[in-house]
Amino acid sequence: MRVGLGACAAALASLALLAGCGGGGAATTSAGSPPAQPLEDLVLLSGNIPRVRPADYVRPTAEYRRYVLTQLGPMQREVQRLRAAVAAGDLSAARGAWLAADERYESIGAAYGAFGDLDASINGGSGGLRGGVDSPEFTGLHRIELALWGRGSTADAAPYVGPLAADLAKLRRSVPTVEIEPLEYALRSHEVLEGTLDLQLSGRESPWSGSALRALRANLKGTEVVLGTLHGLITRRSPTLLQRIERSLAALRASISEVEAAGGSLPRWDRVPDRVQTRLAGLTAGAAEQLAYVPEVIDPRPPLPRKSSIGTVEAEAR
Amino acid sequence: MSLRRRELLIGGVAAGAGAAISRIAGVDPAARAEAVTAVEGKLSERVGFEGAHQAGILTARPRHAIFASFDAIAASPAELAEGLRTLSERGRLLSGGYDALLGSPGEGPTPDSGVLGPVVSPDALTVTIGFGASLFDQRYGLASHRPLGLRPMPAFPDDDLDQSECHGDVIVQLCANTEETLLHALRDVSRSTRGVLGPRWKIEGFLPSPTRESGAGRNLLGFKDGTANPDVENERTMRELVWTGSEEPPWARGGTYQVVRIIRNRVEFWDRVSRSEQELMIGRDKAAGAPLGKDAELDDPEYAQDPKGERIPLDAHIRLARPRTPDTEGSRILRRGYNYSRGIDEADQLDMGLVFVSFQRDLERQFEAVQKRLAGEPLVDYVVPTGGGYFFLPPGARDSQDWVGSGLFL
Repeated sequence: MRVGLGACAAALASLALLAGCGGGGAATTSAGSPPAQPLEDLVLLSGNIPRVRPADYVRPTAEYRRYVLTQLGPMQREVQRLRAAVAAGDLSAARGAWLAADERYESIGAAYGAFGDLDASINGGSGGLRGGVDSPEFTGLHRIELALWGRGSTADAAPYVGPLAADLAKLRRSVPTVEIEPLEYALRSHEVLEGTLDLQLSGRESPWSGSALRALRANLKGTEVVLGTLHGLITRRSPTLLQRIERSLAALRASISEVEAAGGSLPRWDRVPDRVQTRLAGLTAGAAEQLAYVPEVIDPRPPLPRKSSIGTVEAEAR
Repeated sequence: MSLRRRELLIGGVAAGAGAAISRIAGVDPAARAEAVTAVEGKLSERVGFEGAHQAGILTARPRHAIFASFDAIAASPAELAEGLRTLSERGRLLSGGYDALLGSPGEGPTPDSGVLGPVVSPDALTVTIGFGASLFDQRYGLASHRPLGLRPMPAFPDDDLDQSECHGDVIVQLCANTEETLLHALRDVSRSTRGVLGPRWKIEGFLPSPTRESGAGRNLLGFKDGTANPDVENERTMRELVWTGSEEPPWARGGTYQVVRIIRNRVEFWDRVSRSEQELMIGRDKAAGAPLGKDAELDDPEYAQDPKGERIPLDAHIRLARPRTPDTEGSRILRRGYNYSRGIDEADQLDMGLVFVSFQRDLERQFEAVQKRLAGEPLVDYVVPTGGGYFFLPPGARDSQDWVGSGLFL
């Protein structure tokens, strides 16, 4: 929740408060005055902790790549199960394998930008394609989803399972060397859940299987992994931000578990009662709101010249 | 950063802050005088947030409104209270006007959407906050605080309710002279309560320009609407008809009950009806708005002289809504509705109509009594209530530290 804005606006005369309005504090540190020796062990004030440098992201992104690899192995096996079930014409087994594979893929969603065309081929939707669902470019998980749920047919899915398995193998080979930009990575911490709101809870990405809740659970897990790798960088600079984030993620996690416990498993999103939908979407948005302050606190870019937050001030100063 | 540049910047910020303070009208007597003499519809027009009663009930209707319903999704009563306190804090700030924090390089999420630019003018904005019956369930321990007359809006026989546009734990009514002020305020209050209040439904309304003609504005049936409203200047009438009193628990005295009803008008059907037939259904002349057989909008319809309904049919809308008999005058309501227009339906028919809004002290004695009289009126073929809810609007924030609903959490 964003509090204190009012206080800031009402206390414009106080320069000290004005400087604190941005929330993070670390971002306002002057580049010209880095501490001569590492103070981080002695000083808790975030302003005295050096800015995050691109090099600080080497370890977090390496850790994240390792996590992606640990997920891709099981996902390949799930896709093999899917392939076997489709070949055997076993619709129910195929659906089960698809749900497992899709949830697995959603749990590594933080890397979507880095996967490029492969991601489009594995997880793309039909919305931007000429011809929509009939486009030959509509492939991968969601084309198979259309076959298994929309058309209730394993035969319709058959042409797509082989290429999906091949794409996954290619992806697995590329992950160890894939470039993950530090700033992009910092942004992922809130963009994954924005993706959930945009694509999943809107019912757009998985309309046939209704698996948005599974995707939400997986996206939340992916967010937690990203956050875990950045934990050290954030907590030194803004321990309170991390607390706020963890509280909002815990509320979301508890709410998903509650829905799961009530039904024994996660229901289709379109069967979730209105009030519960409002709650889950609201908590997802609430978490994104908190996570959005992460890039400010651990921005790897050199600082930009300071400018007042009030749009009119600079012009008047000249 | 060199010392020279730093000095320049600090000097600049200080000068700017001084200028900003002088622009916060209200602390400056000259600016206040200007606001009072401002003509209606000016950006500088300011409606105070604090007072015994909330703004946006008796205050003049600006031309635009948004009704936004939320569900409480906070994990605890303390979090909910904090969210409601924030809601009032934002309402107070937004309706007073301020210099927007547009953000600065290196800062995170932009503090203000910037929709209104660097200066947020008050623009007659009111932020009015209410609670639905569902807030008083077991979740937040508020069950024993429920206002006496508050319950979920029932479905009336002529309704066709879409549950996804009904009810809600919290309602926020935003009114202002311009739409952009409303959208700015909506984004601000939604964002500052994210994770505490989950958006449920909203509807936007508008009124015709007051320069078009005098008297009550027209609804989308083309008839003047709101003519027979009680006099908001009459304190005694307002106490009788609008403000709650000693019948309520202490925290809820000086509040009011709000009915919001999204009433779709079947405008294509209506436009295929002749003027005289329309007038007989409504009971008023379409041009002047006068009761049928009378000359002026504000003329008394004098039903006593027309006992058989030869001039104004017995089932005409205005006659059923307000029969003007001694035993029905206590059921009068204060209407403050807005027209709405949005998409088209699956049969390609326009979706437009009235966001009916009324304020009353007692839902059963007033709104529901009127509703009962109107049941089955000829007009029901052309109007379909599709959404809305009952809400209780607590008394206003007493001072700059108080917030709407604080009495619930004492």
